[in-house]
Amino acid sequence: MGVITDEARSWANREYPRFEMIVTATDIAKFAHATGENNPIHFDREAAIAAGYADVVAPTLFPYVIRMHASALVAPDQLETDGSPSSDVPPLPTRRAMAGETSVEFGERIVAGDVIAVEKRLAQMYEKEGRSGPLVFVEMDFTFTNQRGELVALENFTRIYR
Amino acid sequence: MSALPEVGTEAPVQTRTPSALDLFMFSASAWLLHRIHYDTPFTTEHDGHPGLLIHGPLQGVYLAQTAESWLGDQARLGSISYRHLAPAYLGDTLECGGSVTRADDEGVEVELWARKPDGTVTTTGKARFERR
Repeated sequence: MGVITDEARSWANREYPRFEMIVTATDIAKFAHATGENNPIHFDREAAIAAGYADVVAPTLFPYVIRMHASALVAPDQLETDGSPSSDVPPLPTRRAMAGETSVEFGERIVAGDVIAVEKRLAQMYEKEGRSGPLVFVEMDFTFTNQRGELVALENFTRIYR
Repeated sequence: MSALPEVGTEAPVQTRTPSALDLFMFSASAWLLHRIHYDTPFTTEHDGHPGLLIHGPLQGVYLAQTAESWLGDQARLGSISYRHLAPAYLGDTLECGGSVTRADDEGVEVELWARKPDGTVTTTGKARFERR
């Protein structure tokens, strides 16, 4: 018995609106502090330049910040009770989500002042029987490019609904 | 330039015990609005968890930091993947470590993990480093 309806299934290969984020030194410093970074290349322009970067450089997993803004930067009435954005996922019998697998390949580093575009696609959706009922896996692909059209990162992310 | 480590070499373990403030800062910096990382009544009463959850992506960052502080001078992080096996809650300590699983002319591959002191692995990962 499947829990993925035809309506939900029609979301496969859906492409979401392209999202752009102007990455500031402030954005980078917030994420760096939040993750306990202390390397001055994330906070101090001179230190970053001395290390060979054009400006303050973002930690490698910073693309995550950009894709979260792409999904969740919506009016509060477009959020579920649990705070997650409601327009982001197909209609499923359960909205209780947990993070599954994440896989990221890195290209050019992100530095302050970059304009990073993220293109997002629902790659596939499938279900498995879990110990406490059906689990639905929703797999997203993200492509991040900078203002010069250079590839910054490719990410594949699976969210699990139970 | 120092050589990259051989297969079997282990990373220095990094121990992390994120506070409620750390969890909030991570949510805020990423605009991650999911209540299970900052709203204790919702998390315990509505979702039935014993406490606030340490974000999976924050654990992913901890794994990347463990690997990059170990190998980053000699090699560039080319890719990383990670997945979550068990929940980690506010107050939990995570011991983050790794070891080299493959070494060749291009670089090294490592496996990574975050585990609680009782041995429960919460997140496992793999990363590829390219020689600089």
